[in-house]
Amino acid sequence: MADDLKVAGFKSSELISSLGTAFASFSPAEKASQIKKTNGIFEITVNKPAGESPAAENATWTIDLKKTGTVTKGKAATKADVTIIMDDEVFVDLASGKLNGQKAFMTGKLKTKGNIMLATKLDGVLKSAQGGAKAKL
Amino acid sequence: MSFQSLISGSECAAPANPLSQVLKHTEADRSIQQDRFAGPSSSRLYQLPGASSSAASGQDLALARQFFEANHGGPAFAPSAIPELSSPQMNEAWVAEQQQHMRMFESSKAQSHWAAEFDGSARQTPLPQPQLLHSDPQQPQSYMPQAGMYGNYMPRTNMFMGGPPLMQSYTPPIADLGKGKGKSREADFEAAFAQAAAFLPQESATSQIVEVDDGVSEIDEAFKSTSLQDSAATSSDFKRVWDHLQNSDAPPPAEDLAKWEAEFNQLMSAQRDDLNYGNAMQEAWESGLGDIESTTFGDPPIKFDNDGLPILGDYVFETNNKYLDPSNSTSSPLSDAKALLDQNGALSEATLLLEAAIQKGDLGEGGYEAWILLGETKNMDEHEEAGMRALNEGVKRAEAAGASGAGMMSLAISFTNESMDRASHVMLLRWLRARFPDHPVPEETVKAMSMHSSWDTHTKITDVFLNLARQQHSQGIVDPDLQVGLGVLYYTNGEYALAKDCFESALSQRPGDYLLWNRLGSALSNGSKPEEALGAYREALQLRPTYTRAIYNVGVACLNIGAHKEAAEHFLSALALQEQTSGETSDQLWFTLRRALSSMDRADLAELAKRESKINLDLFRKEGFDF
Repeated sequence: MADDLKVAGFKSSELISSLGTAFASFSPAEKASQIKKTNGIFEITVNKPAGESPAAENATWTIDLKKTGTVTKGKAATKADVTIIMDDEVFVDLASGKLNGQKAFMTGKLKTKGNIMLATKLDGVLKSAQGGAKAKL
Repeated sequence: MSFQSLISGSECAAPANPLSQVLKHTEADRSIQQDRFAGPSSSRLYQLPGASSSAASGQDLALARQFFEANHGGPAFAPSAIPELSSPQMNEAWVAEQQQHMRMFESSKAQSHWAAEFDGSARQTPLPQPQLLHSDPQQPQSYMPQAGMYGNYMPRTNMFMGGPPLMQSYTPPIADLGKGKGKSREADFEAAFAQAAAFLPQESATSQIVEVDDGVSEIDEAFKSTSLQDSAATSSDFKRVWDHLQNSDAPPPAEDLAKWEAEFNQLMSAQRDDLNYGNAMQEAWESGLGDIESTTFGDPPIKFDNDGLPILGDYVFETNNKYLDPSNSTSSPLSDAKALLDQNGALSEATLLLEAAIQKGDLGEGGYEAWILLGETKNMDEHEEAGMRALNEGVKRAEAAGASGAGMMSLAISFTNESMDRASHVMLLRWLRARFPDHPVPEETVKAMSMHSSWDTHTKITDVFLNLARQQHSQGIVDPDLQVGLGVLYYTNGEYALAKDCFESALSQRPGDYLLWNRLGSALSNGSKPEEALGAYREALQLRPTYTRAIYNVGVACLNIGAHKEAAEHFLSALALQEQTSGETSDQLWFTLRRALSSMDRADLAELAKRESKINLDLFRKEGFDF
């Protein structure tokens, strides 16, 4: 399943697929709790940086944390609650915590369509894509 | 060109007639109404009036002058009813008659000086041929004066009385124009027209789409002022032209405007869908409140009240609590719990005692102490959800009792752990206002709390906290609670370096606070410094060995370093601790353990590592995990 998520030439592809793996390993209860917390369908479009020759100009994934609790490649089957558009490296920075969603948004690195409130939850969603879990206060 | 032909526009004169050109043009050119974005398409408009009129008018004026002068002193028989002339038979008949007349003039020898003059001019000018009338637009005009001369002669000779009907049926509409003012009026008109025409390209060159109406009315005005210049003598012909212009113009703009408006709306709504912050905020606000029920998976999502705080259910008590047993009655479970916590006792035992205390009505100070302690203990034991509910209840009671912010900080931290940033901000602000009622909080900030996204509230509330911290700093005070609050704010925004500084300064005041050591560790861990974090966690665990959350965090740090086996061992030891102390194991621990096991490529074990499967932890010992 994780391999289905990969798109060659995108660094974010790795992160997305590890996110997919994390989601797949959720027990139903955990999935439910994630969905409960987030309650949104994210459509993430990652633009390829100029210079390299990518397989595609951009890649789209859908993180469904509203109904199914899955990560899929391509556009959302049902309408996404929020569409987030950014460059490949911005996504990497976001996932690694070098950049937070607010800063990215304010500097125009991250663009959204739809429910911006949900975009604020993206940081949290991406954190779970990291190898480890988040430490707690 | 005569004014008459200018206006009535004989067909053969049309190519040289600027007005009729304009008529055609205004019928055809919709550049004013259409697609400004594609650039003005009316460059022709620029050339038209100028080019054709300047080319034609010099000659025309000369001809007109000639015509009007010739007309003096006699009835104006200007056979410029050229439409009739353009019929070939007519022309032939006309030419034939002319030739006949000329022959008669010559033969009668009743020549006046005029006849001699005519003779000469008639010989010089070849008689007009019908085809010439069509091919050369200037020809009819050059013919006209001569015809006028004939007209002068006609009454005398009486030769035309039985002549072709065209002469008789012709009524000179320009009789009043023949008073010598035609020339100047024509010039006036030319100027006015040029002025009006200048509006057209100018209008079409601008890209202000909204002004189509204005553009039309400007032209309208221009035409009105034009007619004002001609004021009294404005001919009905001019009015007719203008009416024609308007009539031919008016319906299409209405259509085009509608069409254009539709296009505009389409464009705007397409853009609206895009990156409009204001609309996005509104949508977010609306959809944030509605559309909550439509979940198909698991529990309904958390609802939030108008302040942005989650609406949590009631705290669920342990059903099989041994401390509720009458045989196990202690005088005060609350004080027992406190004592147990002070002695580094098991957290799970303490929570059971606290539950019993609450259920027995032993609520402690202000009716909220037991609740808040229960919540904090639950959180320490890595039961965030239960802890949050208990804290929520405790904070409600504390607020009702008028306590200054008791439990609010713990609740805010709990919200932060559960990624409820907005709720965390709201709770931190409440804490600040309860704790420092004198510190001014801008009204805007309070309002923003319930309305805006967490990104905005974060900025606003951080300002408030920073102001207070600076104020305290200038007075030489370091309030550890305020520093913790500020640290949490930075932490929610991913600014872990700043959060670390805040927690460190709080620790400088309360070095024995294991909670603070754990928070410092978490700030370091999430800030990609898991190695340093381990040091902070060690401090916390030395102060409080049963601190389940710190053990969990150590596991997380190991996981982030890549020491998956060690991570799993830490999670397992935390789980073992919870099991031994008759407590409920934490879902969060199981989940993270599973992740560690997956990373070790032990999917078989990960499959087993679920609270629901109630496996014996010894199984993992057999697998080589040392905990």
